[in-house]
Amino acid sequence: MSENRVYILGGYQTDFARNWARENKHISAMMREAYQGGIYNTNIEPQQINAVFVSNFAAELYCRQGHLSAFTVDFDKSLAGIPTIRFENACASGAVAALSAAAYIQAGLYDLICLIGVELMKTADAVEGGNFLGTAAWYEKECKGIQFPFPTLFGKLGDEYDKRYGLDDKYLARIADINYCNAKKNPNAQTRSWFMNLEHAQAIGKYNTVVSGRIKVTDCSQITDGAVCLFLASQKFADTYARKTGAKLKDIPVILGWGHTTASMEFAKKISDSQDNEYVLPQTRKAILDAYERSGIADCRQLDVIETHDCFTTSEYMAIDHFGLTEPGQSWKAIEDGTIEMEGKLPINPSGGLIGCGHPVGATGVRQLLDAYKQVANRAGDYQVAGAKKAATLNIGGTATTNVCFIVGV
Amino acid sequence: MEKDIKNVAILGAGGTVGSLVAGIIAQEGINVYLLSRTKQRAQKGLSRAIEQARSEVISRNIICGDYESLLKEALTKADWVIEAVTEKAEIKHQMYERLDGSLKPQAIISTTTSSLPLDELVSGRSDDFKKKFLSTHFYNPPARMPACEITGTHFTQPQIYNYMKDFLNRRLRRDIIEVENIAGFAGNRIAFLLFSEITDLVSSYGVEMMDYLIGPYTGRLMSPLATIDLIGLDIYAAIIDSIRKNTKDEMHDSFILPDYITKMIEKGLLGNKTRSGFYKKGEDGRMMFFDPSSFQYIDSREPNVDFVEQAKHLIHIGMYREAFDVIKSADCKEAQIVMNILCTYISYSYSRIGEVTRLEYGIDGIDRVMSGGYHWAPPSLILTMLGGSKVVRELLKQHSLAVPDWLEDVQDAAGAILKSGKFFVAH
Repeated sequence: MSENRVYILGGYQTDFARNWARENKHISAMMREAYQGGIYNTNIEPQQINAVFVSNFAAELYCRQGHLSAFTVDFDKSLAGIPTIRFENACASGAVAALSAAAYIQAGLYDLICLIGVELMKTADAVEGGNFLGTAAWYEKECKGIQFPFPTLFGKLGDEYDKRYGLDDKYLARIADINYCNAKKNPNAQTRSWFMNLEHAQAIGKYNTVVSGRIKVTDCSQITDGAVCLFLASQKFADTYARKTGAKLKDIPVILGWGHTTASMEFAKKISDSQDNEYVLPQTRKAILDAYERSGIADCRQLDVIETHDCFTTSEYMAIDHFGLTEPGQSWKAIEDGTIEMEGKLPINPSGGLIGCGHPVGATGVRQLLDAYKQVANRAGDYQVAGAKKAATLNIGGTATTNVCFIVGV
Repeated sequence: MEKDIKNVAILGAGGTVGSLVAGIIAQEGINVYLLSRTKQRAQKGLSRAIEQARSEVISRNIICGDYESLLKEALTKADWVIEAVTEKAEIKHQMYERLDGSLKPQAIISTTTSSLPLDELVSGRSDDFKKKFLSTHFYNPPARMPACEITGTHFTQPQIYNYMKDFLNRRLRRDIIEVENIAGFAGNRIAFLLFSEITDLVSSYGVEMMDYLIGPYTGRLMSPLATIDLIGLDIYAAIIDSIRKNTKDEMHDSFILPDYITKMIEKGLLGNKTRSGFYKKGEDGRMMFFDPSSFQYIDSREPNVDFVEQAKHLIHIGMYREAFDVIKSADCKEAQIVMNILCTYISYSYSRIGEVTRLEYGIDGIDRVMSGGYHWAPPSLILTMLGGSKVVRELLKQHSLAVPDWLEDVQDAAGAILKSGKFFVAH
């Protein structure tokens, strides 16, 4: 991505602790706040926006509403008539919308795109919502008649690690504990005031029941209502914006590279396909390596921070070796030696991730990019990783079916 | 204190505040002695703390017991004693009598009351007790309401006061509001004035209509009369009484307890704890409303007022400022009532700056306690929603309310509105 670089000008995250369903708010209210917050934080003039891209997984199911992007034209009178698109790629909807926005900008079609990721999930109870989420996998084969399909499938990911390399669940508990701990410093994190410690994450009890297989409640990301706005811009726009705001172009975060792969829909097929591979999910590994290559990074040692897709503790466990922090199957080492903690060599999820910050499905990929932006722009406040210059994000859809990795840096 | 608090004794585990505060302290890995009149009551308190934390592991840090068998041991260990016993001066006096002289030399003693005069509570106590004593007023439930008002008497040792301020913020993540030692402090003084005005109007408009008009859409999680049911009508009456006796201001005459509430208390209609207050669930599960004229519970009349429904719809789609434009421009007696309550809230809150909270806070201290203690839209936000200080000055005059000098526009109004959506619920 050396030519027509795509810049990130900032954005806004709603408070993921809010329950918009209980507030009796329409999904467009959440998008409206994210949009207005993005405008407020970046001082972008609405008439400069060329298009609005919206990422969302399943508003049709959660709130009987499709065609979300069209709501945005009413957020400001100068948005009337502008092109809008809605993107859906399960939990990777946000990253896929960002990839598409970047492509439009690189192609020279647009200079400034407003990206809004959104999901309103608290309209459904746990069982119904779990069933909705099942549509991100092969519903007929993997989800029909199963109460919590995704915890079941990501439990199997842990089982596969266990089979190939051995897996002690205490490391999964520690992943949960670290994410909750990080979330306490994030003013927009869903769990920032929740109680958590390692003992609770390890104990099975009334409040930490087994959801499926080796997955307990504390191993799961949250059911979250949330929206995130992010502005992506061409170099031409970013240059003018930098001058207007008194910043230097080199200090504005830029997308250095990306990787995007798709694995087979069915989890069992992914696993059988990877039997001879040292990585459990080779397509996830490939997306990361592609991103490294496109951004001119040799390996993860050149990264300062990672925001990964910890929909379950097992998915973060997988991300650790797939990013190359350890040899394949040795992710526990980076947990045991503190590498992934806030003060460690390569902190993972200073925001709290999906477990601590929350997982409004269609917004997650956008939230990760906003957090990557905040880290490299030194705007992450209490959860800032000191001196971060390069951040990676990994957003996965389904059971690591869609894999998108971005490298953002200054 | 040279060392941080390691052991805490909580007296009054049977109450919600005592047990839930015990929970948030235990969650930080601090040992808690949770005491009540009987061990069973203390254990019920522990269950509430566990439910709040959604984790049994906190029970490792909590020892339950009754005063007779455990108080002595608790006092030999406790660096901080929290008194959260029944809101009656004589009961608190009896408890302090037992504590005086038995506290550790470095111990701190705090009460959770906001309405009983602190100077009276410590009268007759030793100098040592008095210097260790202050009020730490938590809001309920503390897991969701971070506000904590803190104040001492003129006997309270400044080092103790300052240490507690820091400890509550640093370890228990409380949002500290330093308040003056006046009954009701900041949060209850302001909220109870509005409750008084609303309960007075109930006689004319009824329970259902008043909670409909001053409902969540006006900037609160819960309607006012439902909130009084949650507080308990007996406690509500005691606090109104204490504020009326111990304060004096331009709205003093508004702190009244309508006769119908006195009679409700006599009949045992105390709110949620007796399953009958302003609200009562009928046998078939439908909600019924107390009628002060007949003393019966009546069915819903399904209130429907145009401007309220319009405002609620605008809030539903996230257009908060526009919703307030609708309220402001509506021309009917119901809109007058809503505007009068909102204006009273602004006038009374801004008039209390420097009296209930420190002058240097400006409106900030009151804003924080109303949002973090009651989950009400803070007064400065309502000021912004109604069009800013210039417009509101005129509105206050129209409603014959005090126009405080302090009325100032919020510096960052756009940012304030942006973060305000959580206060406006489309019900």
